[in-house]
Amino acid sequence: MKAVVLAAGEGQRLEPLTNLRPKPMVPIANQPLLEYVIDSVSDAGIDEILLVVGYKRERIQTYFGDGHRWGVDIEYAVQEKQLGTGHAVLQAEDHVDDEFLVLNGDRIITADLVEQLVEKRRDTAETVMAATRADDPSEYGVVTLDGDRVTGITEKPRATTAPSDIVNAGVYAFDQSVFDAIRDINPDPTGELALTAAIERHLDDEPVRAVRYRGLWVDVSYLWDVTAVTAQVLDELDDPIQNGVADEGAQVADDVRTGSDTRVGANATVRRGSALGNNVTVGANAVLSNVVAFDDATIGDGAVLNDCIVAENATVGPNTTVPGGPADVVVDGTCCESVDLGAVVGDNASVGGGSVLVGGTVIGDGATVQDGVTVSGRVPTDAEVRRG
Amino acid sequence: MCGIIGYNGTKSPLSVVATGLKNLEYRGYDSAGIALSDGGIEVYKQEGEIDDLELPESTDAACGIGHTRWSTHGEPTDANAHPHTDCPGRIAVVHNGIIENYDALKDDLSDHEFTSETDTEVIPHLLEEVYDGEDLVGAVQAVAPRLEGSYAFAVTAADSDGMVAARMDSPLVVGHGEDGNFVASDVTAFLEHTREVSYLEDGDVVSVTADGVTVHDAEGTADRPVQTVDWEADAAEKGGYDHYMLKEIHEQPRSLRQTLSGRVDAVDGDVDLDLDMPEQYLQSVTEIQIVACGTSYHAGLYAKQLVEDLANVRASVHVASEYEFNGGRDPWRTLVLAVTQSGETADTLSAMREAARAGARTLAVTNTVGSTAAREADDVVYIRAGPEIGVAATKTFAAQVTTLSLLSVFLGRERGRLSADEASELLENARGLPGAIQQILDVEDDIKGVAEEYVDGDAFFFIGRKLGCPVALEGALKLKEISYAHAEGFAAGELKHGTLALVTPDTPVLAVLTEGATPQATLNNVKEVESRGAPVIGVSSYDPAEKYLDAAFEVPDLGRLEPLLANIYLQLFAYHVAKLKGRSIDKPRNLAKSVTVE
Repeated sequence: MKAVVLAAGEGQRLEPLTNLRPKPMVPIANQPLLEYVIDSVSDAGIDEILLVVGYKRERIQTYFGDGHRWGVDIEYAVQEKQLGTGHAVLQAEDHVDDEFLVLNGDRIITADLVEQLVEKRRDTAETVMAATRADDPSEYGVVTLDGDRVTGITEKPRATTAPSDIVNAGVYAFDQSVFDAIRDINPDPTGELALTAAIERHLDDEPVRAVRYRGLWVDVSYLWDVTAVTAQVLDELDDPIQNGVADEGAQVADDVRTGSDTRVGANATVRRGSALGNNVTVGANAVLSNVVAFDDATIGDGAVLNDCIVAENATVGPNTTVPGGPADVVVDGTCCESVDLGAVVGDNASVGGGSVLVGGTVIGDGATVQDGVTVSGRVPTDAEVRRG
Repeated sequence: MCGIIGYNGTKSPLSVVATGLKNLEYRGYDSAGIALSDGGIEVYKQEGEIDDLELPESTDAACGIGHTRWSTHGEPTDANAHPHTDCPGRIAVVHNGIIENYDALKDDLSDHEFTSETDTEVIPHLLEEVYDGEDLVGAVQAVAPRLEGSYAFAVTAADSDGMVAARMDSPLVVGHGEDGNFVASDVTAFLEHTREVSYLEDGDVVSVTADGVTVHDAEGTADRPVQTVDWEADAAEKGGYDHYMLKEIHEQPRSLRQTLSGRVDAVDGDVDLDLDMPEQYLQSVTEIQIVACGTSYHAGLYAKQLVEDLANVRASVHVASEYEFNGGRDPWRTLVLAVTQSGETADTLSAMREAARAGARTLAVTNTVGSTAAREADDVVYIRAGPEIGVAATKTFAAQVTTLSLLSVFLGRERGRLSADEASELLENARGLPGAIQQILDVEDDIKGVAEEYVDGDAFFFIGRKLGCPVALEGALKLKEISYAHAEGFAAGELKHGTLALVTPDTPVLAVLTEGATPQATLNNVKEVESRGAPVIGVSSYDPAEKYLDAAFEVPDLGRLEPLLANIYLQLFAYHVAKLKGRSIDKPRNLAKSVTVE
């Protein structure tokens, strides 16, 4: 059975991290989200994967190539315009046989879920979807069940009206009939074809079976999820790989993951829950707590960073401070209160020495902050912040 | 330049050899053929690409040899395609290289009937003279000494078990698989079947059967160590890209991380290239000579300036085919760098041998572990770019320049001519390369837009000074080799000494205006061409240039490595122009990936 993984989406809520990469390529503990999906699919014994790619697809193709490194054959289908999950699945039509799986490329799941799904499909020969418990069901499609039969899907219900906290995990087993079902539905008001709408329409005449899943199921919706989920994943890894080197006196906690050619300077401290990508430099005497540094990032001497994302090729100057702690962050016009986000420094951005980034600061990709500035709120892409 | 592969084992040799030829297509593709032995010999060969080769549905044969050709002797025709056979059609041969004395040998074989114009065909006929129907190894050993020139060839005979191959000055590797064994010009031919390989030496004759491999040299049987190739086979697949070239351009951040990995200590200003050259020797050197061809030559021009600057020693760059060790140089004080991606470039190898004969120490800078250059040079530095399939070199240029930059710092430090602080600065820049290149790849759409605007130019001129000059030459080479547009690169100051006469409103000029390339001086040349009405595309980190440019690409700050970043833009420009013109980007006409003929 081939697995179709939907990886064409942009993930606007993760801006600025998704300005230069699609959401599935946002790294969690040094691995793109999508890699967790591919690993799980591969571990479940599936060796043919179709990636539906679109937005910034070069990033995905360059990373995964033909899948050899993961022991799978990867093919690509291109979704030129991102017109919803249903539309994304349609792109797979010419590439799959009668039965296939569909997975979201930006949710961390385990191989166990994939196995359950395959088994259920084999037993019932009906459409199968996975359902799991979520803390905030209002963010997802809430599923109502009668035994293992799905009786309803309510997309993003208001918290008070949510019929249950069991949600659609975004993992399915289909046969070819799904393509006609998708073509039968009308686009929603935003012009998108939602896969769940196609499934829901036929619930009465064609049974959809659910598998209940209780394992790891993590969505990364917001910037602060990147640091939190990284810490969670690191916590579950027995012995994270530390490829980097630590200079004399440097302390790197056991559950920190470091990439190749990464260097932690003399007497620097990297505390639990941090992940440093490849070719990252952490200066002498720096202190990092729950910091996610992407590849090629540079963190200057004596910087003190808490709950922070330093994206690819970004530079944080010496003695810069990010106090961290709960902050209010505006995402898509909505204010999210008291989230654990110290600061985000976007790709290729540069923060001068001795600056202070107030809790919840988000510095856009390519932006420049001069030395000794105190910054808060959102700094747009390529903007320059001077001391005024 | 050709590619050969042979297989004997339990899988179908037809499909193994045909796929192997596909993998070797970068070595030449004007004709192809396969011979299968199963009691008799069946030959399938024709002019044209490998995909067009007409093959049977299936076969019972256990052994097959194949060939993809890039013509040197004789036009690409069905008759000239390999394999070639003896008169009764009982012996089939595939060959890469040139048999220089084939005319004389042909005279000795006057009673044989020749059916092609190739040099290769003498080999099966010579074998026919001595082969007794049993000892194919003995026959090859008897014939090989009569051949002058370069060769790697594989032979199979109607009644023999397996095949026999021999090498002299052309690459040949043996693959040890679970389902049979291989010989090939390059490991990429069989990488999906096995990574266990051994490299043959000149004069070796190897017998390969389904069960085993035996190497014979002048002394008797020889032991050639089995090594594991760590290249990923995925590198030989396009992974969703339309062309290998674009895939390889996008791989540059990753491949440069490999190039740099474990070699750079930017804090202390140290470089570790795992070289065995004594410090006293490096201090005594009075000249570094760089020999190379094509894109590697351009990398050499870049390196020459860095070596002189950082290591304070005279450096010269030589087109390998023009190289002689002369001019009263002291061989004991001359270090010769042979820069070749494949490690098999015939011109570069022969220049390297000339230097070695004169008594100079040689250092190969190559991408290919186990290649002839790597084995013959006194020492070797690998550029670690991973396999490059597109004929137009992209990521290997970046990896060559980066490796040579590290080498310059190393030489400067060993010679005591470069302070740790200065070294740190360049090494910090080198460490910044992957991120900076990714920044350029992220704006590919802008470059595509500019390519669309200027695709119909009558000719394209690339100009740059200092480190920008080799990049101008490389930018022009890339554009001409894949788009077939007329393109020329110049030292910017040279334009007014002749070429300016060609500049018109229909000849876009691409200018490198970065640090390390004296942009303020080049800006004068930009104004020169602008006053002749030529549109100017600037690849720039020099703000004052902006108002003179019709299109501008911004280069991130990276000191002396900025021109290398500028080159990434030029690669993408060449790619998109060629794509808009509908060219065969990965396999441009008349060209082959690594040129193993002189």
